[in-house]
Amino acid sequence: MKQFSNLDQNSSNHTNLEWERQLLLDLGNDITKVRDKNDLIVLFSDRIKSLMHFTHTIVTLIDRKDETYKPFLLDHRASAIKDHPEYDDMVKACFPLDEPFIQSVVAAGGPVDFFLADIVDAPQSPAFLRVNFEKGIRHVLMTTLRTGDQPIGFIHIYTDQHDGFSQEFKDIVQRITPQLSSAVSNIIKNEEILQKENEKSFLLDFSNDMTAVRSRDDLAVVVKTALRKLNPEGGYVIRKINEDGLTMSAYLYDTGASAFDPALLERVLSEKYPINDGLQNRILDSYIPLLFNVGRELQRGYNLSYLNLWENMGFKTMVGIALRNGNANIGLLWLSIDEINIPILQGICSQIAIAMGNIMANEDILRRQAEQQLMLTFSNDITGVKSKSDLDHVVSNVLQGLFQTRIAVMYLLAEDQVTLRPYLFDRQFFQETEVAEHEEFYSLNINEQHIKLVFESNQPILLDIDETLEAKCLKLSIQREQRGINTVYASALRLGEQNLGMVWMLGERISGPLLQGICAQISTAVSNVLAHEQILRLKRELENENDYLKQQLNQDFEEIVGGGEAMQQVYRLISLVAESNSTVLLLGETGTGKELIAKAVHNASSRKEKLMIKVNCAAMPASLIESELFGHERGAFTGAVERRIGKFELANNSTLFLDEVGEMPLETQVKLLRVLQEKEMERVGGKTTIKLNVRIIAATNRDLEAEVKAGRFRSDLYYRLNVFPIKLPPLRDRREDIESLAGFFLSKFSKSIGKKTVKLSANALRQLQAYLWPGNVRELEHLIERSVILATGPMITEFFLPPATGATTEDPMRPSDLPLEEVERMHIIQILRRCGGKISGIGGAAEILGIPGNTLHSKMRKLGISKADYYAH
Amino acid sequence: MKIVIIGGTGLIGSNVTKKLRQLGHTVIAGSPSTGINALTGEGLSNALENTDVVVDLSNSPSFEDGPAIQFFETVGRNILSAELNAGVKHHVVLSIVGTHLMEGMGYMRAKKIQEDLVKSSGVPYTIVRSTQFQEFVPTIAAGGTQGSEVHVSKLDFQPIAAEEVALFIARFAISEPANGTVEIAGPVRGPMSKFVEAYVKTNDAGKTVIANDSNEYFGLAVPTSTLVPEGNAYLGETRFQEYLQSLSPQA
Ligand SMILES: NC(=O)c1ccc[n+]([C@@H]2O[C@H](COP(=O)([O-])OP(=O)(O)OC[C@H]3O[C@@H](n4cnc5c(N)ncnc54)[C@H](OP(=O)(O)O)[C@@H]3O)[C@@H](O)[C@H]2O)c1
Repeated sequence: MKQFSNLDQNSSNHTNLEWERQLLLDLGNDITKVRDKNDLIVLFSDRIKSLMHFTHTIVTLIDRKDETYKPFLLDHRASAIKDHPEYDDMVKACFPLDEPFIQSVVAAGGPVDFFLADIVDAPQSPAFLRVNFEKGIRHVLMTTLRTGDQPIGFIHIYTDQHDGFSQEFKDIVQRITPQLSSAVSNIIKNEEILQKENEKSFLLDFSNDMTAVRSRDDLAVVVKTALRKLNPEGGYVIRKINEDGLTMSAYLYDTGASAFDPALLERVLSEKYPINDGLQNRILDSYIPLLFNVGRELQRGYNLSYLNLWENMGFKTMVGIALRNGNANIGLLWLSIDEINIPILQGICSQIAIAMGNIMANEDILRRQAEQQLMLTFSNDITGVKSKSDLDHVVSNVLQGLFQTRIAVMYLLAEDQVTLRPYLFDRQFFQETEVAEHEEFYSLNINEQHIKLVFESNQPILLDIDETLEAKCLKLSIQREQRGINTVYASALRLGEQNLGMVWMLGERISGPLLQGICAQISTAVSNVLAHEQILRLKRELENENDYLKQQLNQDFEEIVGGGEAMQQVYRLISLVAESNSTVLLLGETGTGKELIAKAVHNASSRKEKLMIKVNCAAMPASLIESELFGHERGAFTGAVERRIGKFELANNSTLFLDEVGEMPLETQVKLLRVLQEKEMERVGGKTTIKLNVRIIAATNRDLEAEVKAGRFRSDLYYRLNVFPIKLPPLRDRREDIESLAGFFLSKFSKSIGKKTVKLSANALRQLQAYLWPGNVRELEHLIERSVILATGPMITEFFLPPATGATTEDPMRPSDLPLEEVERMHIIQILRRCGGKISGIGGAAEILGIPGNTLHSKMRKLGISKADYYAH
Repeated sequence: MKIVIIGGTGLIGSNVTKKLRQLGHTVIAGSPSTGINALTGEGLSNALENTDVVVDLSNSPSFEDGPAIQFFETVGRNILSAELNAGVKHHVVLSIVGTHLMEGMGYMRAKKIQEDLVKSSGVPYTIVRSTQFQEFVPTIAAGGTQGSEVHVSKLDFQPIAAEEVALFIARFAISEPANGTVEIAGPVRGPMSKFVEAYVKTNDAGKTVIANDSNEYFGLAVPTSTLVPEGNAYLGETRFQEYLQSLSPQA
């Protein structure tokens, strides 16, 4: 197509119109095709270049906010000035509207052709005219683009030709200006729409990525990706409000492409910045993102290490945006970027805030779960606590796990209910011996001012460590210095209403409610430990008693010797009664072996696995029998310093052997009777009833019936005891057993002094058999023991026995006071008895009396001695 | 100086912008249409960089109670946050005489909130309380019109020409902050009904103005002197008559 300058003057308007139509159509198509807005100007130039020679065109746009215009569409390819040193400045510059050159363009109805030489130097002429002129441009055709009446921008067409632009060209430009205007405003609108869409898809991508965020690390990755898209080089930091509610610390950060001083970064990351540091509070108080000029803030005198870091990093402007969950600030984002895109930043930040909230909530849940686990373990462990060291261990574990602390001191309240004595303490600060030796010094008084507060509160309290407290409380000062802690948690230990003691604890992460729970459990454990310690003490006491008893029993234990008829009868009785639980009453003179028989009954019973417990009712002052039998509580009477377990209790599920029951004082008899009836008892001074399962074996050498008659023994008790009497024969009534008994004792005592078993001569044996044995088996035992020791040879040939008459202990009457006949009668009866009723023959009474058997018979008839007299016993 | 006019495209704002530019200041006319939205914060922080003075001449697009309060509260807070951050040295805001006496009207309550935000912000400020603009009288007349009658109360009235409001604002913007409230008003005080009557007479002669003693302003009963300055006010020169003349076709 021909150029306008060469256009035939006669060519028809029609052709021109046709051509213009085509041009506009093409331009319309071009516009739909343009990818980059600058393509439009390129295509436009190309199309109209066929009409007229020019070098390049640009479109500038008016900015109404400051009444300036600036380049909008540039034809970089064709620009004649792109090598000019000021080109870059020109591209970015804003040119004021209120100067004569551009005002004349606005005022004109259509394109205005300027000869640059005329205007470049005019006052206020825009610099781009000069720049173009310097690059050989001679004319510029300026046309105002408008929507409605409003100027929105200009199209500049530059040429290096001296003769400028033809009228036809100007006409065509004028005619296509409206289309061009609408094309430009379409571009602006499209740009806006595109930006909105980009924002939307950016935020959509971001929120998609955010849905997968579970942890702080996840968040870091997503945030980094997103912020990199906004500013590939930039850095950022997210700060979170700390638990103190007063400071903020770095939560996530990225240094971007900047170079920096690592030490400074380290410092900034570890520092806690007060929220009210002058900058951060501005952000948290603002509902919109704020732009900070780093240099200016430094100039303003804000001495904040992060400002120095940013300066060091080369960040000139930072945007600060609050992170809020609902209306609550949780932190803020600092981002190095120049332009604030509100929808994007607010979109990002609200999602970051939500994610942070979730992560924190998650961390909180995890922390609480861990706490619960610790508390659970603690609860389990503490129930098993038996000793002080267990307690120390279990409590230390839970305190370390939950609060990263230890017990500073645990005090226990002494019996006086006033003194608090150290019980457990932090061994880092106290030595065991030191505390033990200075217990008085280290103890506290419950009425002391601070301590009172602790016991008045039903939850742990936080005390400031002031001087009074320091003076009162163990080495708090050292802990204060070493750990820099100025407050101490104090909690009372209580069991129900009862105060047990108190704990001190230092730490920054202590939670009052948790501590309260822990202290409740410590209280239970402490009282368990104390109870357990007491049980141990009592057990030891019992064991001692048991040992003693065992020793006693072992000592006494001997086999019963004797195969004579009298003893056979006893054995039968024993085996008859042993299995039953019935009370056995052993009757017999002293030394007849009642204890031995009792033991035999016990051993033949189902209770034999347990020890038989013996009480000698005669060997005890009347005043003590009761506590001996029933035990007593501490303080039951003067001198009862410790609680004592009575023989009855010891004999529970076993056998109680009441020796010499006939000697028991009447009052005790009442109590004994009651216990036998009720099968339960109380300790002296005690309140609790103890159920008993005790088998009673009582023994006496007295004639209980006679004692009952004489009023010295309660008849009801007698009937209780006399359920199954076993009468033990005196030795003189079982002479047949004397030999075997003697043999038994001879071998026993010989062995014990390391001799060969000493023998008896026939004479010596006869002597033994002839003796009356008022002291029964025991007398025999003692005689043989003595003789074995004194024996010089292998055989005892003679015993030194007391004279027979003098040996009689059974006869209370002095013979001298009696008539001869009576003396004679008694003597015969005695001898008869001793001889087991045998009158004549060897060992018979006649032999001992030195008279013939017949004479004895007649004497007995004369004196009226019947069998009943000498078999009565 | 760099001066940012929030609402710089409005009736008063555009005029103040023009005047300050004429005085050689760098003026940014802020409004949503120029990419500075004080409600959303868009462009605000960037615009306020290196700014010395901010003049808030924005107005709520809606005059209803709720939206108006929401508008002035949010806009006030956002502008002041951004100013504090940018280190702006003077905040000028245009308010209305008697706002504190008309809190029964949502819009007035909103203006009072705006004033209070400014006072407590920490930014040096000048609150300019203006009487009604002379240009606002037609609206008052329309508000009182019932058929061919225009009902209007006899409240004290002292309207000022918008042109002079702009002039005063420009003047305060380049002066030291008052850190207080200054009042501006028209040169003449009289019953509101008289001003309305004058307007109706020249422009809508078919109608009759009926003055009443209701002391009502847009339906709200207020003390008689609510709409006029309390103290010594800066007074404009332009009389209401001149405004009326400017309306007549031959002017
Ligand atoms: N009229 C009176 O009688 C009178 C008397 C005393 C005081 N005043 C006060 O003077 C002030 C200005 O009044 P006017 O009559 O000049 O108001 P106007 O003409 O309605 O102008 C309001 C201005 O606020 C802008 N704006 C609206 N929303 C905005 C936002 N979100 N962010 C930033 N700018 C926003 C508007 O921008 P767009 O143009 O882009 O919407 C416009 O520039 C008001 O505060 C008013 O209360 C008025």
